[in-house]
Amino acid sequence: MRMASIDTVDDGQIAAVRATHPGAFRTGRDGLRKWAPWVIAIAYVIGSLIYFDVHLLFQASERALRLLRAMVVWEDMANWQYANIYKGIAQTLAMAFLGTLLGTIGSLFVGFLAAKNVMPIRVVRQMVRRFLDILRGIDQLVWGLVFVRAVGLGPLAGVLAIFISDLGTLSKLYSEAIENIDRKQVEGVRATGAGPFAVIRYGYLPQVLPVFISQSLYFWESNTRSATILGIVGAGGIGMILIERFRAQLYDQVFFVVLNVLVIIFAIDWLSKRIRLWAIGEKSH
Amino acid sequence: MTDIPMRGGSAGASGDAPFDAVATFERHRAELKASKRVWNLLALGAFTIALGLSIWISQFYPERLAEGVPRIFEYFGTIMPDLQWDRLFEGRDAQGNAVPGSIIFWYTDFWTYVELLWETILMAITASLLGTAVAFVLSFPAAANLAPNGWVYWFSRRFLEFCRGVPEILLALVFVFAIGIGPLAGVLAIAIHTAGALGKLFAEVNENASDRPVEGITAVGGSWTEKMLYGVVPQVMPNFFSYAMLRFEINVRASSIIGFVGAGGIGAELNRVISFYSDDRVLAVLILVILMVTIIDLISEDIRHRFIGKENF
Repeated sequence: MRMASIDTVDDGQIAAVRATHPGAFRTGRDGLRKWAPWVIAIAYVIGSLIYFDVHLLFQASERALRLLRAMVVWEDMANWQYANIYKGIAQTLAMAFLGTLLGTIGSLFVGFLAAKNVMPIRVVRQMVRRFLDILRGIDQLVWGLVFVRAVGLGPLAGVLAIFISDLGTLSKLYSEAIENIDRKQVEGVRATGAGPFAVIRYGYLPQVLPVFISQSLYFWESNTRSATILGIVGAGGIGMILIERFRAQLYDQVFFVVLNVLVIIFAIDWLSKRIRLWAIGEKSH
Repeated sequence: MTDIPMRGGSAGASGDAPFDAVATFERHRAELKASKRVWNLLALGAFTIALGLSIWISQFYPERLAEGVPRIFEYFGTIMPDLQWDRLFEGRDAQGNAVPGSIIFWYTDFWTYVELLWETILMAITASLLGTAVAFVLSFPAAANLAPNGWVYWFSRRFLEFCRGVPEILLALVFVFAIGIGPLAGVLAIAIHTAGALGKLFAEVNENASDRPVEGITAVGGSWTEKMLYGVVPQVMPNFFSYAMLRFEINVRASSIIGFVGAGGIGAELNRVISFYSDDRVLAVLILVILMVTIIDLISEDIRHRFIGKENF
């Protein structure tokens, strides 16, 4: 069988097709449009890395080696103050739990205030929303630092930081969930002559509760992660122990703590998945 | 309601005992309720124990809270600038000193902040591009349907998990130690985290891609790389782009705080003004950071919509 090959097509045929179907051929401008973003991106990355002194990366052998060595060689393991480490981890878990819980409770109220279909007064709604924007605009770590200045070192500052930043984000998500509900149930409850609170309880809550629960569980998960680093600014938890030992150049212990934290984070991920299945999954079928 | 006699089916037609639908329903419901109640009680118990333990461990007691909360409001009082209406827009005087109470006095270090914000944005862009590139390459072996073999799949999955498992700040701390204080440490830390987080999302997009184009490329004898490049990439590109832009927005936030551990950007200044001064400078920097984040979000949203709109068109 004779294959149709590019060799059997002569230039005249190509020119003829080019004349009848100009769109099928790449022009110089198409090529430019295709490649220019890539060239610009690569040039930018190289340029900015040089601007950020990328050569430092290749001079770091001694310290980097020390870190890498500490990953493998664990010295003096008997005196690592494990109780201290696990107390820090417990503190982190407690901070994440309390912060998320408080954030959820707060968002239950604020979320309804920010939802268009529950709060008809535009001014109130807009004010609540701008307030939430501010809470969200400031990073959790900054909140942590601010609360450390205000209430002192320790987990209380961490709980407050998680609470405030969760309030900003969860309220927004909650209010969006409330705005996206089915109107019919609400109207049905209202038609029976229910008051505003009964309408929220029987019209809105059954629809939005699964969304609320699953979002709060996600936040619990992600707060467990972020609570591990809140301690870096002094807001309690394992982060404080981590940074103390890092400053004391006990890198093997730091590595051990990080491994523990990773295990805890995976465990919480798994647990939250199970709880989500238990609380919401069985309702869906 | 049970006093209303209701009968299911053709009740009363035959002489058999009537099938009482309501009673059956009620009994079934009671059984379900009972079994659910046990679980609910168990969950409530676990929840209460967790709550009690948490309160005890984090010392979250009412009296500590009552003591701390007023100090929070006090603190917000101290970071308020002392602006005076009549001098608000006054310029510098003959000696070049700003007048207390004017905006210029409040924002004395304005240009330092702007420079640092600029650095922050550059860090976020570089880190996003680097991280996206790594995520792009790894997302194909990390997709269950596209991985060339089990080992490559397992290894790339675990690598991505590790990248996103370690918090950015921690990576930054390590890099600051290894290569010194400066934005490079922050860029690397954010890039690694981005690679991990985006790699997972990209892999999920790949798993949802149609395999018919891939089969087409296989049929004409394409190699694995060619299958990915011509079979998968054109399908997933819009999603990748939109995820990468969303990640860029997150990275702008991340790079604005990563300076807390000395990894460049506005974070170092933020840490300094909060830890050492705690005066109106805190608010000055915070306002600028929020402004920057908001503007970047708006621009990125606009780009995303435009790009996706074009793709659909």
